[in-house]
Amino acid sequence: MSELKTTLAGYVTYRGREGHWSFLLHRITGLGVVLFLTIHIIDIAFVYFNPVLFMKAIEIYRSTLFGVGEIFLVFCVFYHGVNGLRIAYLDLFKPQGWHIESQRRSVRWTLVIALVLWLPSAFWMLRNLLIHNYGLFGG
Amino acid sequence: MASVSQTVRRVRVRPNYETIAWKWMRYSAFAMIPLVWGHMILQDVIVGVHRIDLDYVAMRWASLFWRVYDTLLLGFAFAHGVNGLRQVLNDFIHGERARKVMNWLLFLFWLIITLIGGTALIAGVNRAFPLS
Repeated sequence: MSELKTTLAGYVTYRGREGHWSFLLHRITGLGVVLFLTIHIIDIAFVYFNPVLFMKAIEIYRSTLFGVGEIFLVFCVFYHGVNGLRIAYLDLFKPQGWHIESQRRSVRWTLVIALVLWLPSAFWMLRNLLIHNYGLFGG
Repeated sequence: MASVSQTVRRVRVRPNYETIAWKWMRYSAFAMIPLVWGHMILQDVIVGVHRIDLDYVAMRWASLFWRVYDTLLLGFAFAHGVNGLRQVLNDFIHGERARKVMNWLLFLFWLIITLIGGTALIAGVNRAFPLS
């Protein structure tokens, strides 16, 4: 129990600015994606094991609550991907690029790139949600 | 500007499970950018969940290309995800025995879910199932 507390307290109170924020974002987005991915593999497996349950799952995914969650999921995947590329590129091919000063800039750019990738998708998904669940835009 | 300190040091580590997992997380990232982003943009944004049903999955899996694509997704993404989960849990679980148990449980979790997904990928949409 105390180990859990110490680690969690470290996650919150460590003041590493950009590096700290990107570490936390990478973990939170990663955990969110792997949680969804597990559910998603199982619901798709239902097309073989139990197609009735598959359609029930799809019905839940079509709800507004899940639609909003899906929009956040897409952000998680974009952010985790862009940040993962930054980490993989530096670790594997340019470890001398791990400088605090330059990485503070990179972390900010990572977030900007993820947001730029996400916004058009978020707009389109929100539009789809409003069309199908609220009959807007001639739905 | 102040000079920046060099923090890189070359070390030679004999390949072990952890170094392989470390490399796996990074190399799989490059494969997953087109795979996962492509899948997500196509299914969540362009097609959208309101147009996905059994017929859609059957149509998609009628093509060998998409079945291979989905198999790659399953193989890369889930293994990457479960190992990521393991890395997070390593921050909280420190005992040698506890970590051993954790590693085995995660391995079984990965294996079972992968087998379930893989079975559906090979078997496809089940039309014989009684649909109400």
